[in-house]
Amino acid sequence: MTSTATPATKSQPLFGPEEKKAILDPLWDNNPIALQVLGICSALAVTTRLDASIVMGISVICVLAMANVVISVMRNLIPSKIRVIVQLVVVSGAVIIVDQLLRAYAFDLAKQLGVFVSLIITNCIVMGRLEGYAMGNPPWRSLLDGIGNGLGYAWIICVVGAVREILGSGKLLGMQVIPDGLYEAGYVNNGLMVLAPGAFLLLGVIVWVQRAISGYVEK
Amino acid sequence: MNTNSNSYTMMFAVAICVVMSTVLAFLANALEPTQKAAAEFDRQKNVMMAAGLIQPGDARSQEELQALFAERVTEVTIDVTTGEPLAGTPEEVAAARKSDPKRYRVVGTVTKPDGSVDAIILPISGKGLWSTLYGYLALEADRNHVKGIQFYKHGETPGLGGEVENPAWTALWKGKEIRDANGQIAITIKKGKVDEKVPAEKAHYVDGLSGATITSKGVQTFVRADLKAFDKYLSRGK
Repeated sequence: MTSTATPATKSQPLFGPEEKKAILDPLWDNNPIALQVLGICSALAVTTRLDASIVMGISVICVLAMANVVISVMRNLIPSKIRVIVQLVVVSGAVIIVDQLLRAYAFDLAKQLGVFVSLIITNCIVMGRLEGYAMGNPPWRSLLDGIGNGLGYAWIICVVGAVREILGSGKLLGMQVIPDGLYEAGYVNNGLMVLAPGAFLLLGVIVWVQRAISGYVEK
Repeated sequence: MNTNSNSYTMMFAVAICVVMSTVLAFLANALEPTQKAAAEFDRQKNVMMAAGLIQPGDARSQEELQALFAERVTEVTIDVTTGEPLAGTPEEVAAARKSDPKRYRVVGTVTKPDGSVDAIILPISGKGLWSTLYGYLALEADRNHVKGIQFYKHGETPGLGGEVENPAWTALWKGKEIRDANGQIAITIKKGKVDEKVPAEKAHYVDGLSGATITSKGVQTFVRADLKAFDKYLSRGK
């Protein structure tokens, strides 16, 4: 019998290929929205304006990173019988922390996002990463994975939010971008873009384009 | 260690609940003053928006807006059964408000820079579909024409009942008369669109919110009830 060195005994680089994969994969190759089609409900609901999308994106990044680290630290202590409940407790805690901070320091946005901040709890991306990644990987890598998936979610909803705000209300971040002259020439804001179906169509197009470029094929 | 035994599972569950609730309780306590201040500032902005003093999305800083509020808006607690302002120290007034919030209510007056009355601000609140809505109704100095309406807190469905916040809808209230020729409260939220050709509708009716019949009905009911409650106060200055 020969003894084989386990990965744990080898000194690991702080930012090796595994770490790079954890943070970069979800941005494009394994994007939670475009590839895994998770977190769609909030992507449809909060993206009428870019500022709301940005805050929602940041909130999801914070929640995912926090919950991933906490679960990863505890991963060997969590009884498998109640592991999903424990994950939920941690996610809810992280969401409440983010919600309370928003209410204290960004009241207007907290009001506008309303119930959707609390609904991050039910965002499938969060549970998916906890169960699929943090339960089996060390904290540092889980942190990167959380940030990566959060960013993968955030950039898509920011694109949707920007397009919807420009087409739906002629503004970007609250500032008018479509010139008055165009309105005088008969241009009208697209009402569909303000409503959820507009987001649905747009998201469909984004998923299509993303899959066409990344060459994803359903197995 | 056997992490699958029943006793370990129980202990783990209890421990994580205790830790989590301690963290959250501590955070909620620490943030409470900041949250209260933010909510109060939001309320002040809504008073000024109802009165048309500022527009939504005003770019001025919090200090400037709060200074504007302090300069132009006066708030007093009145006894709605008499319509008279309540006398006493601020503590006594606050205690009275707490003991009977339906009877002792805070009303506001917005003055123009020259000191004349610009708007009367009445607090309005009541049930919609899911939640209690809170807002302000601003009346012109004649106490009959609506100057503006604003909701600052509610839990109605976004996109349906939540449209009570929509500036396009609140703008419909502007200029409506709350009383008819006989002095009866006539402000009404109509299901559907107001027929501009009918004089009574043009003067007193506001379009209903589509997809939010119950919220619209609720708003009409509590706006009328609150106007009735403030009857004595409104007729006092005439």
